Amino acid sequence: MTEKLEKQTKKLDNGLQISVVPMAGFNQVYGLAMTNFGSVDTGTENGVLPSGVAHFLEHKLFAKPGYDVSEKFAEYGANSNAYTSYTKTAYLFQTLENPYDNLRVLLDLVQNPYFTEKNVASERGIIDQEIQMYLDMPEWVLEQRILGQLYPNDPIAEDIAGSSKSLQEINQVNLLETYQQNYRPDNMNLVLVGDVDFEKVENIVENSNFHTLETPLKKTFNKFAPIGAGGQETMDISQARSSYGIRIDTEMTGYDLVRKQFELNMIMETLIGESSGNYQEMSKLNLIDDSFSYNVVAENNYCFIIISGSTNNPEQFQEYLRKHLSYEALKEVLTDAKFERIQRDAIGAYLFAQNSPEAIANQMAELYFYDVDYLQLVQMIDSIDKDDVLNIAEKFLKDNNCTYYNLLPSGK
Amino acid sequence: MRKTLAKNIFLNINPIKKFRTIKIQMDFLRPLDKEETTSRRLLANVMSNSTEDYPSFQAINDREMELYGSEINVFTRNLLNFNDLAFSVEFADPSFLIDGQTQVKDNLDLLGEIIFKPNLADNKFDVTAFDTEKRNLMSNLVSIQDNQDLVSSLGLAKLIYQNNPNRQVPIFGSIEQLNNLTNEKLLAAYRDVIKNDTVVINVVGNVDETEFLKQLTDSDFYQQMNNNRNDLQIEFEKFDELVKKPATKIEHKHLNQSRISLAYATENLAKDYSRLAPQIMNLILGGDDQSQLFQQVREKNSLAYSVSSTYQPISHLVTIQAGLDSDSIDKAMALINQQIEFIKQGKFTDAQVQHAQKVMVTRRKISTDSIQYYIMRSIWETVYPKTLMTEQQFQSELESLDKKHIASVAENMHTIAQYQLIGD
Repeated sequence: MTEKLEKQTKKLDNGLQISVVPMAGFNQVYGLAMTNFGSVDTGTENGVLPSGVAHFLEHKLFAKPGYDVSEKFAEYGANSNAYTSYTKTAYLFQTLENPYDNLRVLLDLVQNPYFTEKNVASERGIIDQEIQMYLDMPEWVLEQRILGQLYPNDPIAEDIAGSSKSLQEINQVNLLETYQQNYRPDNMNLVLVGDVDFEKVENIVENSNFHTLETPLKKTFNKFAPIGAGGQETMDISQARSSYGIRIDTEMTGYDLVRKQFELNMIMETLIGESSGNYQEMSKLNLIDDSFSYNVVAENNYCFIIISGSTNNPEQFQEYLRKHLSYEALKEVLTDAKFERIQRDAIGAYLFAQNSPEAIANQMAELYFYDVDYLQLVQMIDSIDKDDVLNIAEKFLKDNNCTYYNLLPSGK
Repeated sequence: MRKTLAKNIFLNINPIKKFRTIKIQMDFLRPLDKEETTSRRLLANVMSNSTEDYPSFQAINDREMELYGSEINVFTRNLLNFNDLAFSVEFADPSFLIDGQTQVKDNLDLLGEIIFKPNLADNKFDVTAFDTEKRNLMSNLVSIQDNQDLVSSLGLAKLIYQNNPNRQVPIFGSIEQLNNLTNEKLLAAYRDVIKNDTVVINVVGNVDETEFLKQLTDSDFYQQMNNNRNDLQIEFEKFDELVKKPATKIEHKHLNQSRISLAYATENLAKDYSRLAPQIMNLILGGDDQSQLFQQVREKNSLAYSVSSTYQPISHLVTIQAGLDSDSIDKAMALINQQIEFIKQGKFTDAQVQHAQKVMVTRRKISTDSIQYYIMRSIWETVYPKTLMTEQQFQSELESLDKKHIASVAENMHTIAQYQLIGD
């Protein structure tokens, strides 16, 4: 019999939270260190950082004097990686053996920066190629553009990796300053999933060399300009793409914000998910194909929904969504039976994710910053009722918080 | 439990308990035929759109949600020289649900519906389902041109398989064939699949084997699965012509980044190390972030963000892919050739070999943490067992490898195709 997941956690004196989740029957150990710092966090007391600095840090923290951390992971049999999102940066390893040695390497990775003029310069070329690669992906370009409409002139509208120009402004000095401000234990957490001993993990982390700052951790939230009116441009693509964005300004944080994200997902699934009448209708009208999707994001003070897909008729695509994304329409279709199905679907998704140590570690680490226990998500889903969903919809489904962006094939 | 339900209809049940989900997959296999590639892909889409009892896309999705978010997946893929039309349902293990007593049967029934009770009217597929899915597939085929990595790998495949017409149509079909595909032709293709394809059924997860077998044999659709089917003949590609005269193609597009895709045939390897030596060689060449290509092309020369090599054990092909500036292509090509030469000359270190061996062991064991591993292994056991290695064979071949064996793989690597997509 498969056992339910359990975890052990402890918040260390320096503010770092560590969590261990055993996974019976699994061979691997998956380790992850996450910091509550991402591409949108470019504002500082001393001015604005160049865009892409969080992502550059993610690349360059692997460099150490005389070695690269990925070599050390490899020596201990692990593969390693890292990623930067709008609001978080994570470093991870996956291994069969030597979990404690690999944990020490992970700690070395996030604790000991080594930036030189030379190693920073050599990374620029690599990251510039990464930026060029994404610029050829219409879906990625469209996401940047719709975010530019939802949050005009905000760092979230920049590529996570920055631009060829901003890369030139990133140097060893601003990298180190940014690192010191954000890679502090009270702004991070560590999760290990797999067969490891909690006390041993705790001991290794306690005896490692986290730098701490006397100043209390201050998280500044960006101020937003009014939503843009929408726009479009041509690109060398064969199929038009359209995106419809909804911005939801909220004061909510923590548990309430995560709960709101679940509620917003339920609203979107009811109105335009694959099980909705609108999805069928838009498909019948030839306004969407199976690339049509929506994404609800609720992170720090950003809360928005992006609906996008390939379309033969961007104007009608926008028009349809504007007309049918309404509180009245939701009230009509969100029956008790429908709500129960949506709730069941969310519970199923939670169980599916538990097949993957990677998914567990990433979600647990991310939810920590919102004071949400990953293992209590089912209780959160259960606590949502139909009226909660309708109440929230009544507040945000209105005309003045929406915008759009289209990418049109050049020559058409 | 492994059982043959009829000639070339196989059932494998693996009641493993470590996952939170259960997966049932039915693979329908027949030799690749370029005339059928597009229809099989469209069939996959039309059949997952709706069924007799769930006659709309909305109805089928509602049912999946009702069953705690069951995931239906129907797709086609290349497997050896066969076209595999696969139907699967993955669902939450009922032991984690308060009211999941009928979860296994309900999901088996849903999968059975999709395969054996299509949404028909007037001896055709439901017109809405057919038209919608035909439009969807057309849209997907048009969009391929907007995915440059895919354009690049398809460009290379077209060169590699230029002498095999059945591989000239990509597995997801062609616009030209789709234009000519009628509802009637699709229904004929469906009936042919159900009656004649070899079928491999896999069940992985926390199920009672005897009970599942009973549920399967009691099901309405079981009768349609117990007639004998033809044997599958495995065939392998030959690249002799391309070794003598490699194929090259350069295309230009308005892009920010250029892509290069290279293919090499490996041949004449001694049998006792022919399975793992190419994989070790590939790991040293470009298989991970410690490899020669990653270190030399990306880290030391900052020419690319993405550069790697892969080895395909069935076709014995090594391929290299990189994304870079168009004015760096010559330099990158020279560096790539230098790395191959480096391995040919046995200049790699013992530490590199040990690292590659460790990666092989790690990947093999970590792959068992995924439900899909058990399904794929079972399909190989059924269709082409020779490709699988026991733990003992794997360990003993891995340990017996030395630098000479690895270098000899590179020595026997011949360029057969080069595709360049130049961004300008």
